[in-house]
Amino acid sequence: MAAYEKKYVWSVLLRLFHWTFAPSIFILIVTGLYIHWPWTNTWLEGSHQFTMAVMRWIHFIAGMLFTCAVLARLYLWFFGNKYEKVWDFLPITGRNVKNLISTLLYYAYLTDHHEERLGHNALAGTAYFFTIFLAVLQFISGLYLLYPENGFFVSLGSALFGTQQEARFIHYILNWYFAWFALVHIYIVVWNDIKNPEGLISSIFDGYKFHKKES
Amino acid sequence: MNRSLFLGGIPKTVSRRGFLRACAIATAAMGLPMEMVPKVAQAASDPKRPSVVWLHFQECTGCSESLLRASHPDLASLILNLISLDYHETLSAAAGKQAEENLEKAIERGNYVLVVEGGIPLKDGGVYCKIGGKTAVEILKRAAEKAAAIIAIGTCAAYGGVQAAKPNPTGAVGVSEVIKDKPIINVPGCPPNPHNFLSTVLYYLTFKKLPPTDKFGRPLFAYGRKVHDHCERRPHFDEGRFAERFGDVGHRLGFCLYKVGCKGPETYSNCPVIRFNDVEVWPVSVGNGCYGCTEPNFWDTMTPFHKRLPNVKIPGGKGIQASATEIGKAALGVTAAAVAIHAGVGIAKRLATGSKSEE
Repeated sequence: MAAYEKKYVWSVLLRLFHWTFAPSIFILIVTGLYIHWPWTNTWLEGSHQFTMAVMRWIHFIAGMLFTCAVLARLYLWFFGNKYEKVWDFLPITGRNVKNLISTLLYYAYLTDHHEERLGHNALAGTAYFFTIFLAVLQFISGLYLLYPENGFFVSLGSALFGTQQEARFIHYILNWYFAWFALVHIYIVVWNDIKNPEGLISSIFDGYKFHKKES
Repeated sequence: MNRSLFLGGIPKTVSRRGFLRACAIATAAMGLPMEMVPKVAQAASDPKRPSVVWLHFQECTGCSESLLRASHPDLASLILNLISLDYHETLSAAAGKQAEENLEKAIERGNYVLVVEGGIPLKDGGVYCKIGGKTAVEILKRAAEKAAAIIAIGTCAAYGGVQAAKPNPTGAVGVSEVIKDKPIINVPGCPPNPHNFLSTVLYYLTFKKLPPTDKFGRPLFAYGRKVHDHCERRPHFDEGRFAERFGDVGHRLGFCLYKVGCKGPETYSNCPVIRFNDVEVWPVSVGNGCYGCTEPNFWDTMTPFHKRLPNVKIPGGKGIQASATEIGKAALGVTAAAVAIHAGVGIAKRLATGSKSEE
């Protein structure tokens, strides 16, 4: 039996990021879909019942937390530990490109060989990079929609997205991306946890992963 | 619209177009489908006009004024052509004994609609309002005897109005406190919207009965919804954008008037929908909060008029946008603190070990 050693991988700040980001995405998707298509019958809305207002309120607050989480992750891209830094997992080095290809083959059940990474593998890292990039677009479009009279967000938002309606469309499409990402992410994490005894799921709670000792 | 109508006072006749327009407005105000317009028009053009006796008690005649000085003269003339106004103190050509005779004659004929404007003082035998030597309560009781139905126009006639405000020195009450055995409909407001009065009359003429009412005797078609729920400034309330005082930036930008005392959240009326004077205005649209003038005892319960009313739940405490902004700023602060701690620990570690430690 192979020997494993315990390694500290995910810092407190990264775990805080994850556990702010994940629930906020869930809340944002549910409330966002409600705002897009209010499924309750709200013809009785009055001063005692504010279904839409409450949904928007929760959505905005979750959006604020989402934004903060993304900003924290952006900081860690450059100032985190070596597993959290952006060049550890982006396919910009030969080592990472090789890891990306082998991980793709491994996930497709085409090979059993793969390089174990303590941090993100290059495929996951690329997906996370892409997700954070879209998250930035999402929070900018969200702030543009929330503050349609704020000079800063109007100039930034209209430069990136165009009109309010175009920003709203992009915001809505990205909402579905995050729903899709959440599903795939959870599936792959569970799949990995079953295939490899590295403690992937528990690592996002306590920060430790298990690494096969070189013998 | 012919501008000369504005200048020419109340015309004697109503144009066909004006007549149908007023009928359509009234039908819509009653919440009836468009198919009912011909029926309403038919009822309104019935040559057998209902006799109306219009009594004035403790009041300012503002209700009659607002009705007659509606900038759309067709409305006033329609009402005056619709009904046979057998007695109206302000409008009748007759005066003194002659006018009192007209009233007696109308009462003897019976089966009229009795419109009451103004409160009725009951204290000290009702001596605080006397017309032709008779107290208001005597005149009302006498006129109500043979009335088919009673319409109380204005908040005074409906609930006592300003003279019933604490301490109510004359013991003023509304019609329904005095007359118990007749169908009474209240069209409150200070003044009420002329359209609501017209619609109530047309409803009665079309269906030969009074419209369904709420617990305060007000026709549901006009007083069934809250001012707040149809207010054009409602989105500002939800977002938490308020005029903090009259003339400030928020006020000039047309934000919600709740904090300067708007009583829209507690007032039932169709003002935001039907508006006034045919020029699409109502108090809130011109920058003054609702005073709640259609509600019973509003002089006591809605004052001070320019202070906010208690216990109205604002979404998110301050409005959803304002509150989300506040929470967002706090979250940003916490994030900055977390990042600062992270960076501080990193720097401290590096200083302590004197080397680059990455793990």
